[in-house]
Amino acid sequence: MVLLTVRLPSRATLRQAMRRLGLSDEEVDLGYGLVLIDPGQDLYALRVTEAAVARIDPQADYGLYADPKIEPYGPPA
Amino acid sequence: MRVLIQLRPAPDVVAAVADPDVPTTTADVADDLPGVALDRSFVPVALPRPVPAAGGDPLSLSQATTFSLSAEHASVMLRGEISDDELSTRLSLLPALRSDIVGVHADPVIESSLTCGGDAPVGDWHDVERLMRVGDLRAEGLDGSGVALAVVDTGVNAAHIRQRTGREVTVDAGRSWNPDGVSGRPGEFRVDHGTMCAFDALISAPRASLIDLPVLLSRRPGGSAMDGLLSDAVAAFAHLRTVLAAQPEATRSLVISNSWGSFSPRWDFPVGHPGNYSDNAAHPFNLIVSSLEQAGADVLFAAGNCGRDCRDRRCAYPDRPISGANSHPRVLSVGGVDTSGARVGYSSQGPGRLTPRKPDVCSYTHFSGSWAFGVDQPDSGTSTACPVAAGLVAAIRTRWPASRLSPAQLRALLRRTADERGDLGFDYDYGYGVVNVARVLSSLRRQEARVA
Repeated sequence: MVLLTVRLPSRATLRQAMRRLGLSDEEVDLGYGLVLIDPGQDLYALRVTEAAVARIDPQADYGLYADPKIEPYGPPA
Repeated sequence: MRVLIQLRPAPDVVAAVADPDVPTTTADVADDLPGVALDRSFVPVALPRPVPAAGGDPLSLSQATTFSLSAEHASVMLRGEISDDELSTRLSLLPALRSDIVGVHADPVIESSLTCGGDAPVGDWHDVERLMRVGDLRAEGLDGSGVALAVVDTGVNAAHIRQRTGREVTVDAGRSWNPDGVSGRPGEFRVDHGTMCAFDALISAPRASLIDLPVLLSRRPGGSAMDGLLSDAVAAFAHLRTVLAAQPEATRSLVISNSWGSFSPRWDFPVGHPGNYSDNAAHPFNLIVSSLEQAGADVLFAAGNCGRDCRDRRCAYPDRPISGANSHPRVLSVGGVDTSGARVGYSSQGPGRLTPRKPDVCSYTHFSGSWAFGVDQPDSGTSTACPVAAGLVAAIRTRWPASRLSPAQLRALLRRTADERGDLGFDYDYGYGVVNVARVLSSLRRQEARVA
């Protein structure tokens, strides 16, 4: 899955985001939900499948970002 | 970077340097070299020239050779330092500006052995208490009371810390947060990396309130190469923004300790791709870090364990391993030194990917502390150095909320007061140096007196 950002009205919900992007339940990490990144810009993030990204309307004004694995920095292996 | 400069000055100068009975100084050889801070304490050294037998190859040492210290043949070596920021420019310009410069060479630090992963502990946490001047901090009322200290890690086990220290540990369950799918109660997670980090943060701020965020326990669905956990850190930081926003602006203080990062570019989009994380300030996580810092949070990240001398075997960046938020301009990136003050060999070196001047400072690691990994195992990695520094920040925040000393000002204070390890204020091994609590306290006292 990848991380997607999208601008939505204030206090937006995951369902609103899914409607805007034309995504189904199977294409979205529902447990992760919709996360507000920057309240000043009404920028939100959600996790979607890579296959779904290819279908999203380019006019939807979204950003696609890496969601890399992160690990503890210790003890050094 | 420390350098050795090889010059061929006038023959009478060479002769004087080569003569052990004639005292010479750096100033006798060169008054000034542009962009080089000459080490005036270094006594110039005459370097002999290899002279092959008649007809021999002048560039080969694999033959019968004699060495000449005659004034016509020999050269002279001086020692100096070039700012890391200007290194490549200066190296190319110097021979053009000064025709007597024959070469500029690296002058690496020679150390008997740097502390590496797997080595025994160097000192214990009471040594760190002494080095961090915890008694002085306490005397000034700086013990972390009322300060929220978020540990973004594998979860905290407060009972283990209580047992190890004999002190009460405060976990703020109401403001703690679990990623979706992670069960467990704040302060009651299995003893692991997060417990080590919390223990180390509490050395300098024993009365801080821990906010437990077990982000590294998350296992999100996906299964592709791009699946990962940074998204959980995004969600955790979004939660912390609500914690910060709920605090009165005048007394706002939230310290966030992050002893984690991404070891490999293979989990990321390529550098230059608009969705890349490692080198892209516009990545959502890097944006949310900025927004939290802007709102008054102190964000600290471990520099990483990919130092050239003995890097973690998981390190996969070919160069510049301090990446993503670990190299963010609005965070304090923390490298590691052992309790003798020497850089641990695994502490990642700069330049950073989002901003070059990383790490910012170094703090203490590789000491016997939490025993989270066993009684004979040190608290190690820059994973330990970061919360040790975060504890200091939390202690300062006891009386200096963000409204009084902004996160940027506090970072500048820690950099400005650090014990330099280079001659020019900053280097890619130690950053601005090792945190110096005595100087931090002096500076805060002066600032307090000015305001009064």
